[in-house]
Amino acid sequence: MSDDIRRWSEELARDPASLVFIPLGDALRRRGQLDPALKVATRGLERHPYDADAHDLLARIWADRGELERAMDEWGAALRVAPQHAGALKGMGFACSHAGRGVDAERYLVAALATDPTDATISAALSRLRMPPAASGDGGPRPSGPEAVRSIRDSSASPSHPAPAAESVSELELPPMPVSVVQDARDVFLDLLGDGEQTALLLDAQGYVLAGSYVVADGRDVGQDVGGALSGVSDEAQRAMRHLGLGEWTSIVFETDVAAVAMAPVVQDGEAAVALVAAARSVPLGLVRRLLRSVTERSAAWLTGTVGPTGAEL
Amino acid sequence: MTSVFLEMLDGFTRQRGVQGGLVVSERDGIVVDAHVQLGVRASVVAALAASIYRKARLSAEAAGLGGVAYVELAAVQGRLCMAGRGDLVVVLVTDGRSSVGLLRTALLRALDNLP
Amino acid sequence: MTIAVVEPWVEAPLRHFVQDAQVTLALLLTPSGQVLGQHGFTRAVDVMAACALAAAIHASSSELGKMLEGKPFAGLHHAGATRQIFLAPAETRRGTLLCLTVFDDATSIGIVQLYFDELRGRLEAGAPGARTPPTGVLADTFEQDLNRNLTLLFRR
Repeated sequence: MSDDIRRWSEELARDPASLVFIPLGDALRRRGQLDPALKVATRGLERHPYDADAHDLLARIWADRGELERAMDEWGAALRVAPQHAGALKGMGFACSHAGRGVDAERYLVAALATDPTDATISAALSRLRMPPAASGDGGPRPSGPEAVRSIRDSSASPSHPAPAAESVSELELPPMPVSVVQDARDVFLDLLGDGEQTALLLDAQGYVLAGSYVVADGRDVGQDVGGALSGVSDEAQRAMRHLGLGEWTSIVFETDVAAVAMAPVVQDGEAAVALVAAARSVPLGLVRRLLRSVTERSAAWLTGTVGPTGAEL
Repeated sequence: MTSVFLEMLDGFTRQRGVQGGLVVSERDGIVVDAHVQLGVRASVVAALAASIYRKARLSAEAAGLGGVAYVELAAVQGRLCMAGRGDLVVVLVTDGRSSVGLLRTALLRALDNLP
Repeated sequence: MTIAVVEPWVEAPLRHFVQDAQVTLALLLTPSGQVLGQHGFTRAVDVMAACALAAAIHASSSELGKMLEGKPFAGLHHAGATRQIFLAPAETRRGTLLCLTVFDDATSIGIVQLYFDELRGRLEAGAPGARTPPTGVLADTFEQDLNRNLTLLFRR
């Protein structure tokens, strides 16, 4: 290891633009030399700002220093450059879990597992995340939606249950995640949809389902499949707006053989998401557009935590 | 030289709020024919509209929703209305004053006249 | 996404182009075949071959354009069954650069041309001052430069 560090250091000294700073920074991090690792990583990133591995390295260093917010920023940057980056997906999963963001944690870990199905640490983390809590508390009313996520985060970091310091990414503790939170997220639009042949989803910038469901005839929820497939359309819309001089995009509607699909951007606290409504062709188009407006408003309110499941104000 | 699309595009651009009508190749994203007002960059609209239409079509197929006939992208200051058949997509660029319902119907009817 | 460049000023324009146009391969080179930046190639020998071919194609198509229209063609597009190539020049203070790009069904020639225009603008705006042009068709140091550039691109 020390031979490697010496060799990589010499190489970096000879050629400061070399990407050898990544293995060098990681080797230093593994030895617990976090300050020099941080210097190596930040200098390397100055020269290679679009290298996902470099962002992943810096994130791991921040995580090892216990600065999870910064770590998540870096993993986020890595995922913007390389959306399928296994290390960043896994890191985000662990960090979200540590921060009490169970829904996000599950989403990232599922994506990480898809990129590396052999990684047993991800499977174990997912199993633990999906495990219902052993005790249900005092039986009082439970918060729901994002508020529930917040309450878990708060309780896990409360003085009586201090959040453990992150020794390393793979050692982050996973707080238990109530099944009800996931169910609540699926039900956010139920009262808007009524009994009609229509459905609604809220997708994050990468096409992952944040809320809502898309249940097909045999009872399966194919929300993630449909959301993932359709989310690219909003990226196209955004790109087009940069050149067309029509201002920001407000909606995109397309009619297919079997459905009318409508999408609209939802921006909340700088985070971009997309609301999606799909309805059978028998549903009048005006109604689909109206439903899209309602779903967009509900999505924005849900993201800020001002409404819970079935639109109930919190 | 007049093209087979001239009459159709001319009819569209007489409608209120329509700034341009184009027939574009979905695969190549290039103009087949266009009738646009000054200031509308036909080649840029063609490339981007074809790309959006294609993405919508492929995404809908991937999501198991079947083929796409009509796509409409609305923005703060106007919209793109698109309808396609085969490799050809008819694209309308409109401002905020256009009657979208009317244009949608006219676009879908126009598909019958595409070769 | 990996962009490798010999001269730092071409990195940002090339990165924007690759990201926006969604091309699978991109090469920036001089008309003599010296590589300045690349995306998507994994072997130096492929870059060397592509540069040599692109330079030769550009030279011959420019002459054809001059014969037919009195000026070089603005760009060259070849559509294959699954992949397409686009080769076009960009004028900068450092002289003419060529961009060779390969793309598939994920994008279109219309999109590639749209973002190539942006690439051309960015290269024009970002190019440092002119170097002294070589006196011959190829600089005396051509082979040295070629090897140096390929080494720089694939040092990882």
